[in-house]
Amino acid sequence: MNEVVAFWILSAVAVLGALVAVRKRNLIHGVFALLVFFAGLSGLFLLLLAEFIAAVQVLVYIGAVGVLLLFAIMLTERVAGDDDRRMTSRGWSWGLVMAAAVFVVLLLPPILQLPSPEAAQPIKPSVEELGHKLMNPYVVTLEVLALLLTAALIGAVTAAQGVRMPKEENSPE
Amino acid sequence: MTLHHYLILAAVLFCVGLMGAFTRRNAIVVLFSVEIMLNAANLNFIAFWRYSDNPALLHGPMFTLFAIAVAAAEVAVGLALVIAVYRHFKTVDLESMDTLREE
Repeated sequence: MNEVVAFWILSAVAVLGALVAVRKRNLIHGVFALLVFFAGLSGLFLLLLAEFIAAVQVLVYIGAVGVLLLFAIMLTERVAGDDDRRMTSRGWSWGLVMAAAVFVVLLLPPILQLPSPEAAQPIKPSVEELGHKLMNPYVVTLEVLALLLTAALIGAVTAAQGVRMPKEENSPE
Repeated sequence: MTLHHYLILAAVLFCVGLMGAFTRRNAIVVLFSVEIMLNAANLNFIAFWRYSDNPALLHGPMFTLFAIAVAAAEVAVGLALVIAVYRHFKTVDLESMDTLREE
């Protein structure tokens, strides 16, 4: 029964976090709600016995992506975020209708057609096996991923740096 | 807990992210709505893995691991692009970036 209680609490945390993150006018508050969503999802991964993925979720999303989003907000928009006229309730209700339609028409029918096994079989902790698998069958994927991350790093720096204008260099600051 | 619980939760989270991407006009909020959708997909991978016949193969966690790494790279590049766009237009409002629409 503990698992059931944990599932409902964690899913409530995740859904509420996501809703607040999407709806909050203040961007900084939105990012913190997003971090709550990531934490709830990490708990759900733990509940599904994917302990390494839960740890990665905390490290990568709550740690790196959260800080990155906060810095991007500080570098761009006023902290207060959108002003009132940009979030009319009419636009919001259309978005809600569209999302609900996608849920009911596209997502729900295939889910309900699947068989739903009641009890999952017990599994052993998988971190060690995951490491072995990363080294033996998946090593090429790992290397390509490293290449992708390097390319993303260089690309992000180049894009954020922008084109340096000559007059910018002449200006006193 | 059955598989359906997790799948429906992931679908709900996906739709919340979709709603954010539809309704918000701030580029950063749209970016993290996309992140919410990606995370919902990851939850699906892990749920299917947990309830599969042979979880020892670890296909689910492996795919999720790679998806998280690619998503992290995507966030970095996306935010760099947002900053570059902000420098050009002095705004991150997606509705005001309509240069191609002007005749």
